Formats: sequence, C-alpha cells, structure tokens
Amino acid sequence: MMERRDHQGIEELLSASVLGALEPEEQAALEQEMSSHGPRCPECMELRRDYGEVAGRLAFALEPVAVRRGLEDQVVQLARGARTAEVVQIPARRNRSRVWRGLVAVAAAFVLFAGGWLARDLSGGNNATVTLPSKVVSFQGTGGNLSVAYDPGTRGVYLLGSDLAAPPSGKVYEVWKIEGGTPVRGACFRPKANGSFFRFLDTDISTTQVMAVTVEPATCSSAPTSEPFLTATITQA
Amino acid sequence: MAIDLSDVRDQELVTRIRGGDEEAFRGLFRRYAPNAMALARRVVRQPSLAEEIVQEAFLALWRNPTGYDQERGTVRSWLLGTVHHRAVDAVRREESQRRRAEGAVSVDVAQPDISEEVAAELDAPEERRAVRKALDELPAEQRQVIELMYFDGLSQSAIAGRLSLPLGTVKSRSLLGMRRLRAALVEMER
Repeated sequence: MMERRDHQGIEELLSASVLGALEPEEQAALEQEMSSHGPRCPECMELRRDYGEVAGRLAFALEPVAVRRGLEDQVVQLARGARTAEVVQIPARRNRSRVWRGLVAVAAAFVLFAGGWLARDLSGGNNATVTLPSKVVSFQGTGGNLSVAYDPGTRGVYLLGSDLAAPPSGKVYEVWKIEGGTPVRGACFRPKANGSFFRFLDTDISTTQVMAVTVEPATCSSAPTSEPFLTATITQA
Repeated sequence: MAIDLSDVRDQELVTRIRGGDEEAFRGLFRRYAPNAMALARRVVRQPSLAEEIVQEAFLALWRNPTGYDQERGTVRSWLLGTVHHRAVDAVRREESQRRRAEGAVSVDVAQPDISEEVAAELDAPEERRAVRKALDELPAEQRQVIELMYFDGLSQSAIAGRLSLPLGTVKSRSLLGMRRLRAALVEMER
C-alpha cells in the first residue's frame, strides 16, 4: 500500500516533468524520490518510459515545418566541426593550449594561402573536410581559450573554446555583442566538463565592434552584471 | 507488445550514428527535423531561435549518441523530448523579453486550438491524427492545462497564476489528462 502511494507521488511529478512544467524545487523532489527507489525500480522505469513517450508524441500534433534549405548541410558541417574540436581535447592537458594555438595558426595559414578555410578533418585518416568561415578571432583575457569564427557580411558565428574554466556554482557564461557601446545579448553557455565548447550562433555581427564574455546568474542576464573576462575585436574587412 | 517498425529503423540509425555514420545522421535529421522545428517554433515563437534549438538537439545526438537509452522509450520521443526541453529552457530565459516584444501567449488571446484542426486535416498522417484525437478527447480543462505546459512552456505554478486557479487544481487536471493520454497513446498500442 505504501509502495502505491510512493509511486502516485512520482507519477504526479513525473507526468508534469516530461512536459517541462515543474519548478526547480519540484524537479529536485522528483529526482530525490526516484533515487530513493533505486535506478532499477520497475514501476519507476515504466512510468518514465510511458510519460516520456506521451510527451514525445505530443509533438506530432503539430503540422511539420519544412526546414530551411541548407540547414541539413549546416548541421552536418557543424557535426564535423564538433568532432574536429573534440580532437583538440585528446592530447594531455599540458599540451592542449599549444595544440589549440596550433589549430588556429594552421587555419590562419590557410586563410592567407587560399583566402578561406579548408581545414582537413583532424580526426586522422579521414578524408572528410570541413569548410570554416574566413575569419577567426581569438578572445583576449584569462580563463581559457575562446575563438569566434565568421564570414564578414554573412549571418552567423561559430564559437569554439578549450580549457575554459567552469563558471562558479549557480553561474553561466554569457556572450555579448558590443554595438555602439551597448551590450547586446548573444548566448549563455557552460563549457563541457573537459573545458571545451562549440556552438553556432545565428546572429548578425555586421555592426558589432567587440564581443565579450561575462559571468552571469544561471538564469542569464538581459544586461551584463560583471566585467568581461574575455573580449574579441570584430572587424568586417 | 506490438513491434514499432519505425522505431526499429530509428534505433538502427542511432547505432550507425554511434559509429560516426554521417548518412545515418542525415537520415534521422530528415525524418524528424520538420517535427522538431514545428515543436521548437511553437514553444519559442522565434524561427531563428527554433532553428538554433533544433540544430543543437541534433548536434547533441551526434556528439553523444550513447545518451539514448532504449529502455527509456523510442528514439523519436527521446529526440523530440530533447528539443522540447531545450525550447522550454529557452522560453523561460527569454520569457519576459519575448512576450513584451511579440505580445504573444496569453490565454486571453485566441490561440490555435490544435484539436479543432482535426477536421481540416483528414489526410494527415496516422500518427498526427492519433495524437490530435487523443488531445481532442480530453476534457477541455485538462487539455488547456496540458497545452499550456507543453506548447507554451509554462510551469504548473505559472498556469495557476494565469488561470487564477489553485495550484492543486492545475496539478490534478494535469495528472488526469496525462493519464488519459498515456492510456490512449501508449497502453492502447501494447
């Protein structure tokens, strides 16, 4: 009888959790309750599977939307780039910064030589190639390596990071575009546990003079609440 | 339990993605990106942000295909659940800004009632019809709460405030509605 009551509580919370409708403290209560049942609790697993299935299938109530032409190729390119970025993490920690700088230097050489990036996939023995934007700018400051890659006049930028320190507990990093002296929100992020970070931002930087990174509350900020610790000067030439 | 052939194919694609198969990745993208885009757009109401969310969800799959656990359900539900989770996170971060800018999402404003579109979609795929029928058969007050949670990204507390209802009422409507959907969409197919 007690067991049933326990699962009813889990069902109430879980059925709302899969819809994204719990407050953080309720989500924590659900996780605590489920962990008290153990990872192999059959009823918990069934509830999670079934309600997860319901939530996933609700998406099919909507009329599908045609994706933009070229999005598939863009995602695949980013996937290749993600693999390339991860390769930077393979060497021992003491070599990572050097490898990262080397990667940027090699890419820069390609810019000079070919007027654009055509960097061979660094995963080794793989013929796949990835075409990257024509400009790459490294952020200056402390706390890790971050670069922004973009094509002047073309919407969208790639942010690639390595050896980035984890933000303090309850905080995230937030990227800003400084336009006419005014910070404009870019994106919030946390680096992966190994300090790496890779993201495409669908944003226009044609009027951006500087990009900056600050530490902000986990909810993100609409205006910076701390001094930038990384900055990059953006040029359109 | 009936075998879901569609999910068998999806699981095969995920297995190939684990081995770095780009064509399998493209296959899964082509199959579900339109549904993922529809969901993300519905929740965040910004096409460019929706595209970013879909892109990130698929990239997350590429980076960590072992994140999918067959015991937790089908590939499609896992993938679309990931998209939904990211979209809700985004909408909560930008909620105040976005709603000020677009004047969107208010129960006082007529929202497209998904269930009402059933009649106009007689040639809709079986999947869509089944889900819409299940939603349509919910009592209106349960459907309203579930749609506000899922499609508008509102928490139960936020819905209680918006509808001027006790939180307990919202929770009970949500649970009863989800139990009906579970019975209609999951248990009936076993």
